[in-house]
Amino acid sequence: MNDEGRFGQYGGSYIPEILYSSQQQLLKAYRDAMNDAAFIQLVKSEMQTFSGRPTPLTYCANLTKMLGGAQIYLKREDLNHSGAHKMNNVIGQGLLAKRMGKTRIIAETGAGQHGVASAIVAARLGLECTVYMGAHDIERQYPNVFWMKQLGATVVPVTTGAATLKDALDEALRDWSSSYEDTYYLIGTSCGCAPYPEMVAGFQSVIGEEVKEQSTQQFGKYPDRIYACVGGGSNACGIFLPFVGSDAELIGVEAGGRSDAPGDHAMRFHTDQARFGIAQGFATKFLQDEEGQLQPTHSISAGLDYVGVSPILADLEEQGKVRMTSASDIEVMEAFKLLTRHEGVIPALESAHAVAGGLREAAGMSPDQHIVISISGRGDKDIFNIAKALDDEPFTEFLQTYLKEESV
Amino acid sequence: MNKLTSFIQNQRQNKPLLLMTHVVYGYPTIEKSLEIMQLMLDNGVEILEVQFPFSDPVADGPTITNACHHALEQNPKLTQCLQDIKKLARQYPQSRVLLMSYLNPLLQPGFTSLAQQMGEDISGIIIPDLSIDHHAMLDPLSNSGIAPIWLITPDMKADRIRKVTEQAQGMLYCVSRSGVTGQKSTDQLSTNQLSTAPKASALENMQGYLNNVRQFTSLPLAVGFGINTAEDISALKGHADVAIVGSAFLNAFNKGGLEAVARKLSELQA
Ligand SMILES: Cc1ncc(COP(=O)(O)O)c(C=O)c1O
Repeated sequence: MNDEGRFGQYGGSYIPEILYSSQQQLLKAYRDAMNDAAFIQLVKSEMQTFSGRPTPLTYCANLTKMLGGAQIYLKREDLNHSGAHKMNNVIGQGLLAKRMGKTRIIAETGAGQHGVASAIVAARLGLECTVYMGAHDIERQYPNVFWMKQLGATVVPVTTGAATLKDALDEALRDWSSSYEDTYYLIGTSCGCAPYPEMVAGFQSVIGEEVKEQSTQQFGKYPDRIYACVGGGSNACGIFLPFVGSDAELIGVEAGGRSDAPGDHAMRFHTDQARFGIAQGFATKFLQDEEGQLQPTHSISAGLDYVGVSPILADLEEQGKVRMTSASDIEVMEAFKLLTRHEGVIPALESAHAVAGGLREAAGMSPDQHIVISISGRGDKDIFNIAKALDDEPFTEFLQTYLKEESV
Repeated sequence: MNKLTSFIQNQRQNKPLLLMTHVVYGYPTIEKSLEIMQLMLDNGVEILEVQFPFSDPVADGPTITNACHHALEQNPKLTQCLQDIKKLARQYPQSRVLLMSYLNPLLQPGFTSLAQQMGEDISGIIIPDLSIDHHAMLDPLSNSGIAPIWLITPDMKADRIRKVTEQAQGMLYCVSRSGVTGQKSTDQLSTNQLSTAPKASALENMQGYLNNVRQFTSLPLAVGFGINTAEDISALKGHADVAIVGSAFLNAFNKGGLEAVARKLSELQA
């Protein structure tokens, strides 16, 4: 049974024995649910009526003209409820938790997007919700913490280790190992032990399925290239997987960060700082030192700085079916500005990595080629970080005034 | 018979229960952690479990997790750790030394090289994030007489226990309750099965659990997770062969250094 969930040499299940029975229960419940047409219909209908699917495929006339290369389209996951693709996954897993009779969900979160999405479905489905979040991330992303609390979730700061996403994931696993009787672990990306990578990628595949229909409708064929940012890899898996085996070239864009030095980026490909490893329940490429200790990461976007990557993508890359590249913090800010100014779409900083990757290559392509860029989320959540990166002084003044008003 | 098994069985002839104590290599420093180990061995601890720290110890509670993260600031090297603890094992031939770590640090040398490096002196290995389904990965170790020590949990079904006992060597590590290391003691045994049970029946449940495991195997049973007091230990006598104490020593050390560790030892060995 535990041979399940392998993707080439990656994936699998490497969990403490104490989690064995809960994992078996989950595997079975997931398979049952996937064979139940009524459940699939329920997920679909919830995606439509609660999250607003299908999301549009938007043509970028201005950028296409400016660059003079390929026709540029955006897949608008930013238009989901909660403002990110994370919603597709929490709808699927939330309904599964409910179907399994669980009364509580736990989740890990880095930027807070998955935490907010989890808190949203928990509120809607009447489930208790605990979100583990690195203390360091709480400092950087307080607005999301605020919303999680308003939605009724308990946010637990994780202070161990680097106090970021990987430590939050460890803590969620620890919680699960003593609470599995009533608790469902709702992981936020296509990582972790089986069946999580497959399940999350599966619920996210609605993105790529829609692109197939929309591209055929709008320009009469599949895209020539598809770009997605890669943190844990869920939006990339979602938009890529339906196209594996087609002629579309699939390009993942990682966080190039400040530099190539250890701790300055979150690139799991094209660097010898990342190698095969087994941790957090699964095998993949992890950023690690020569003793096998997982390494700190950095990215301008909190959602991309994870030490590992989806085993599905690690395997597809090894097979040559996905090409991986990266964008630096600086390139990302440039791409952010271009898309915002010229197309009126404010992307999340995570998604701006995909924009950077796409725009970089579009100019060299011919006008009869088409590219689709996954806008995994909207940029509103990043307002503080973007204002800081752009040195926007009035924003700082606004914050100071706000604080003064509060204290009177 | 496996060397660890015969060691435990010999010791058990005149002792009702052996003590296995846990130390994190490199906490608070490498030197200090070796002193703690030495103190324990000087005091006649029968089995010493040395944890080589990992950045993401998902089966450990806050006490051990924090100790691991502090230890990592010392940049511990697995090769050096093995040399250090092998030396101790040779100095204290009347005790046995086990290595505990998570998969990823151990994958770096790989299990063939690890078996060579561990040699004759390290009797067994505990890897909390490796389940019995992957036992073949550890063949190089068991082929050199190093016992892979598997975990048994309170909610394991009979067929799963059998799967473990079929492969098991050395001894079995019976986890006293669900959850991670540390935290609770016997009066809060097993959150899933025993949470509302009063202390006396919690003990009965624990004893029932061990007696059940006993039916599947003649290997020594070691019990760990949340064992803190002399009382916890005496409750195990007659039902287990080895009591495993980890977080309690770390907590003692954090409060009162080596002296507090020595006091805790004499309390538990009384
Ligand atoms: C908007 C957005 N995009 C992308 C990601 C990265 O996750 P993944 O690689 O799983 O899509 C996140 C994670 O928080 C996110 O919030």
